[in-house]
Amino acid sequence: MSEQVPHAAHEDLGPAHRWGDLAGGLATAGPLLDDAVGAAAAGGASYADVRLSEAQELRLYAVSGGAPDERIEGSLGLGVRVLVDGVWGFASRPMRDAADAVAAARDALRNARAAAVGSRERVTLPPRAAECGLYQTTAAVDPFAVGDAVRERVVAGALAAAAATAGVVQAQAGVNAKRSHRYFASTEGSRQEQHFVESGGMVLAIAAEGSATQRRSYPNSFFGNTAAAGWEYVEGLQLPEQAGRVGAEAVQLLTAPVADSGTADIVIGPAQLALQIHESTGHALELDRILGDEANFAGRSFIGPDAVGRLQYGSAAVNVVADATVPGTRGSFMFDDEGTRTLRTMLVTEGVITNFLSSRDSAARIGAESTASARSDGWGFLPLCFATNVFLEPGTGSTDDLLDRMGSGYYLDDNRSWSIDDQRLNFQFGTEAAWEVRKGKRTRLLRNFSYGGITPQFWGSLEAVAGPADFRTFGMPCGKGEPKEWGFLSHGAAPALFRGVRIGVA
Amino acid sequence: MPETALQAWAGQDQALTALENALAAADADHAEVFVAARTGNHTRFAGERVHQPQTIIECQVMARAVAGTGSARVAVSSLAGARDAVAAASDMARRRDGAGGGRPHGVAGPGGISGAAGLWHDTTLAWDAGARSALAGRIMDAARSAGVSAAGVLTAAITELAVVTSAGQRCYAAATEAGFSLTARAGEASSYTADLGRDVSVLSVEERAETAVSQAAATGNPVPVPDGVHDVVFGGLATAELIGFLPEFGFTGSAVAAGIGLAATRPGAVLAPAGITVADDATAGAGLPFPFDFEGTPKQRVELIAAGHVGGAFSDLASAMATGGHSTGHAHIARESSPAPEAANLIMTPGTASEADLIAGVERGLYIQRLWYNRLVDAEAGTVVGTSRDGCFLIEDGKLSAGLRTGRFTESVLGALARTDGIGSRLISLPVPNVWNGCASAPAIRVRGFRFGSRPGKV
Repeated sequence: MSEQVPHAAHEDLGPAHRWGDLAGGLATAGPLLDDAVGAAAAGGASYADVRLSEAQELRLYAVSGGAPDERIEGSLGLGVRVLVDGVWGFASRPMRDAADAVAAARDALRNARAAAVGSRERVTLPPRAAECGLYQTTAAVDPFAVGDAVRERVVAGALAAAAATAGVVQAQAGVNAKRSHRYFASTEGSRQEQHFVESGGMVLAIAAEGSATQRRSYPNSFFGNTAAAGWEYVEGLQLPEQAGRVGAEAVQLLTAPVADSGTADIVIGPAQLALQIHESTGHALELDRILGDEANFAGRSFIGPDAVGRLQYGSAAVNVVADATVPGTRGSFMFDDEGTRTLRTMLVTEGVITNFLSSRDSAARIGAESTASARSDGWGFLPLCFATNVFLEPGTGSTDDLLDRMGSGYYLDDNRSWSIDDQRLNFQFGTEAAWEVRKGKRTRLLRNFSYGGITPQFWGSLEAVAGPADFRTFGMPCGKGEPKEWGFLSHGAAPALFRGVRIGVA
Repeated sequence: MPETALQAWAGQDQALTALENALAAADADHAEVFVAARTGNHTRFAGERVHQPQTIIECQVMARAVAGTGSARVAVSSLAGARDAVAAASDMARRRDGAGGGRPHGVAGPGGISGAAGLWHDTTLAWDAGARSALAGRIMDAARSAGVSAAGVLTAAITELAVVTSAGQRCYAAATEAGFSLTARAGEASSYTADLGRDVSVLSVEERAETAVSQAAATGNPVPVPDGVHDVVFGGLATAELIGFLPEFGFTGSAVAAGIGLAATRPGAVLAPAGITVADDATAGAGLPFPFDFEGTPKQRVELIAAGHVGGAFSDLASAMATGGHSTGHAHIARESSPAPEAANLIMTPGTASEADLIAGVERGLYIQRLWYNRLVDAEAGTVVGTSRDGCFLIEDGKLSAGLRTGRFTESVLGALARTDGIGSRLISLPVPNVWNGCASAPAIRVRGFRFGSRPGKV
């Protein structure tokens, strides 16, 4: 592994990106990309693309009473995708030397030719002009350059604060940093480089009494939160300052009442709403899923390929955008993983479906343009349709205004359990915490809160969304594909008011 | 060996030599280094095309060093980087010496590993891209002829793990893996089949695919799952999904150390009928056996439910140190997660009944082939939320009748096991996501009283 600034780090890169073997830009990566693209073309591919990537992750996570988990994980490899006689083939491998670029191309060609035996349909990929460009995350403080003692202070402080309340039996706190160089080349002449830095953190408290347990977390229950930013993001989370509340609430939940089941008005906080968007909006709008490519595992969608401009997905307050051009999240980039330049795309406009999360292959099958949503899990996996930055557009006013508008009901946030069917229609989510709302004010804390519904009915019950000041984004991983790969993306929302939602579980 | 045959990425001699050389760079009290590699060939198909034929080679070399009270890990993606990884881990561990946190655990000592059953099968190696693609084509052709659409995946892989420690452990194993899954759909009617193992020749892939296609074709418009409490026969895949939650109910060494969960709070308690035994058993012939873990500790059989009673917990070196016991060989380290003991080859002991026998014992109820998006709601009660999915049917007069649409449930796995009165004889295996070489295997079971529906209520 290389921890040093390479001799050939190119001048356009910020300090946080000057690391590793591939910091030299296309001057370094270009020959490897050319080898793979050239081998694919020489082997009969009518189209080929290559992704060459180097990545590193630094973690310091600790559980109360245990030895901390401090580790740095690195990888360097490439994936080659080819189209031979209208049939795709893909191969990936770690990079040991230049020969691996050609070997991966050879494996991809072999897979395509073998697949032709079983395929009755052929792919027609509309040609496109070459796209070239450079993208890099803005990081004020390189998280890899932060000293051990600084990380230790944050983690130890959060751990101690989370465990301080009697009744907390286990606390966990951690910080992480990720960085990667990603290069793309295709037989169409595209040559792209993107350099990413991410930083994140989390704290979790588990309280127990007898056989009962409850958990509370911050800033999100789903692996904490990670942003495309430097260490300044972690400092801004104020983990030690928030951890005391997290521990205290976990203990309070042990004896908190359970809400009566039935139908109620609810305001969903941004962390839970991010997951709601992910499961019932993002996944439902993946075009490969809609076209049946994922029918065996991730599933289908209740939304059909003819839904654009026709399907009333939600109320007029539902405006959902996919916008990877928004900086600072795990879904921020310039080019997706098949080289399509990203753009702002309205997916739902005033409740009506207006576009899909699509790739070149899936878009071509419905005669549309890709919305730059082909994303892959590093160099090792095929690009699939994943969300990017998929946000519920904010409305107006504050969260307090929203609670006041609701009057009586519940405010809930931070996911505890989540389940949705394979058509993204019938869902049920549980939250870590909920508060009863009376006369527009939060009152008592409630445990084991859950709500459920049918996607278009649920979004049809959206009455109002709070304004931009209360908008938050959350980076999260997502699983899809066979073999299962992770997509890294983000969802954002301000708290939103839904009327007449089913609460409680069977 | 034909060009298309699977080949191990690391290889025994290369792996062990590289790891031993790397360990020489350790400047620490203890050190361990492993390489985990996997070469996976996947033929994925849907509708009318093999849309994702893939060869994915993954390799991770991870070093761990302990210096005083400090410990750290460094990982790279090639054996060539192993020595630098060991040196870097040593440096990080020394820097951590004296910092906060608990005392780190040591490394595994030598020996103790006996071979797991049937790791390597040439039949799986020979199931190459051409053979898999041709089979995918036959399945899609047969489906089309029957008015059915088919989507699935056919996989052949080699998994390798080598571990070397400063205390003298030195081990390597490689295993083949074959798996398949298929969803056949006619309108909203569907069927599903899947299985996983080391040897493709015992999976009967084509025969089971034909059965799934025929079943989907023969199923009329499915009906909603009736809200209410039903007698339910869960197929092996659905049962495997359910028992996959057991570790979360407190069968890990770390849960025991924290005083949380069944093994800590209710040891020996009766949970289920005496016919139910669920063990993590990586030495068994079923599922994906493997002889040792990432720390080089031999894997032991651990019974989570022993003849209906709460059994023991599985552990790694860290949790074993915390509980004063010994590691059962369940060390695991997942991406973006802290190391924690993990079940890797869960197996429910089969009974003697055929699936048809179990169904025949239900006058009116449900047959549930596949569950989907199951998530833990309440570890104390064992409550899980999820849905049924493909290949589910009403049972009427002891026979399958109408197909079922998706149905939601929020039920206790522990409660379901307690109400089980029939256990099938045939194990079916499915992969456990996010667990290296993870697998759960189970037979069909018959549960007297399992509620489906979204009727509001309380946990």
